[in-house]
Amino acid sequence: MTTPILAVTDLWAGYGRAPVIRGLEVAVAPGEVAVIIGPNGHGKTTFLRAVSGLLKPSRGEVLLDGEPVQGRAPEYVSRLGLVHVPQGDGLFAEMTVEENLLMGAFPASSWRARRRALARAYELFPGVRDRARQRARTLSGGERRLTALARGLMRPSRIMLIDEPSLGLAPVAIDTVYEAIAELKASSTTILLVEENFTHVGGIADAVHIVEMGVIVRSGSFDDLSRDPTVVGTYLGSL
Amino acid sequence: MSTTDLVGILVTTFILGSIYGLVAIGMTLIYGALRILDMSQGSMVMIGSFVGWGVLVVAGWNPFVAILLAFAATFLLGTFTQLVSVQPLMKRRHEIDFEMLTFITTFAVAIVFTNLALEIFGPQQRNVTFVISGGINVYHGVNLPYQSLAMAVVSIVLMAALGVFLARTRWGMAIRAVAQDLDAARLMGVPVGKLYPLTMGLASALAGIAGVFLGGLYFASPQAGDQPLLIALIVVIFGGLGSLPGTVYAAYAIGLIQATAEVLVGTTWALPILYAVILLVLIVRPQGLMGKPSEARL
Repeated sequence: MTTPILAVTDLWAGYGRAPVIRGLEVAVAPGEVAVIIGPNGHGKTTFLRAVSGLLKPSRGEVLLDGEPVQGRAPEYVSRLGLVHVPQGDGLFAEMTVEENLLMGAFPASSWRARRRALARAYELFPGVRDRARQRARTLSGGERRLTALARGLMRPSRIMLIDEPSLGLAPVAIDTVYEAIAELKASSTTILLVEENFTHVGGIADAVHIVEMGVIVRSGSFDDLSRDPTVVGTYLGSL
Repeated sequence: MSTTDLVGILVTTFILGSIYGLVAIGMTLIYGALRILDMSQGSMVMIGSFVGWGVLVVAGWNPFVAILLAFAATFLLGTFTQLVSVQPLMKRRHEIDFEMLTFITTFAVAIVFTNLALEIFGPQQRNVTFVISGGINVYHGVNLPYQSLAMAVVSIVLMAALGVFLARTRWGMAIRAVAQDLDAARLMGVPVGKLYPLTMGLASALAGIAGVFLGGLYFASPQAGDQPLLIALIVVIFGGLGSLPGTVYAAYAIGLIQATAEVLVGTTWALPILYAVILLVLIVRPQGLMGKPSEARL
């Protein structure tokens, strides 16, 4: 196996005294789409936040391209090429869609290439271009999510973390969002995304990890795990 | 009320409103980006007034040097103030009453600055005489001195420049981003550890320039920032905390109230009347003119 882009070992993190992530381990290879599946409250969002630096892990190691980044500030980790599309989308509500995208190109080197990046993002997300002059707070849920994804394309990324792309969206909007993610995969973006169930990730997941109480309890290919009756039957929703 | 009175009121409103806007807009910027009411802004006005006195009266140089030096000095001191009184609390802001604590810590810094000024310059008021003389006769008996006109114009230009900076530039947009969603801004790579001190430096520098002007209208003294601080607080609250357009409107509204009271009732009563009006307005409309109280963002 090639060196993973992201390698997480024995990661512990949480809020206050109670750890939510308890020794989580996962590795994502270049070009891979890895999906972490688990029920609400079992640490998926906490895990992404601990990787991107929004939350300081209490223990463990996070290697990004071999460089330890655990406990580093999010602005530092971000500059190494980690793009985190957070829960709630993290859009700047009073800015226009285009300004939101431009913020995605904040690092100096990306800022110089922002016009080209903008053209590329709009090409991949034509729906976002149609809303370019609108304030982000006026967008629908689906448009918000697509804008957040498009913003992630505004600078070169090594890996994209996406927090529950389907959360709170109408079924038709979920389809559009997953089509966009499939496009990202097709352009060989390395992706780590978390979801509550298997329902939408069939077409894109290379590897699936199941998280329970803050640890990975099963890992495998989508086909292996989605056919395993104990896995599917327990809590993983419909296919 | 005669036409002369009316024109006089409008001229005074234009001058006072522009300068008050410049004093208060930095406070709005800081509140929007950092969620703190920076009580050291008054001392930046005071320091600006002393820079004006030093450059114009002691050294005898021209007003632009005074503006540049006041900008530089208060930019550095504003940055310093953020680093000593706000930054140390930043990491713990979720565990403490951040707004109230920084209100007090910045006030503490302001008191230190005031007492340093008292120690160095003594308590006396010093005239800051501008070299620009003459004026326009706007209407019979209403004179608009070039000096005041220049102050108002420079204030307006600086406020407009701030607006363009925030709307168009990389770092200006970063300040707005931080104000609207701190975590998301950090995920974009915005170095908040640098951005916060620079934002407070920039805001303080605008107050510093306003200090040169206010020093020209009144005096330079260790207390020269007290009244402007109070006015700035009123302007930002009246305008709706964190709203830049609201701040500008409120500045002129307050200039108008003060000018009207000065002309109709006399200078002694101008401030009591101003505060009474503000008390009334805020009781009727607690969120201020443009306020979105809980979510006001740049």
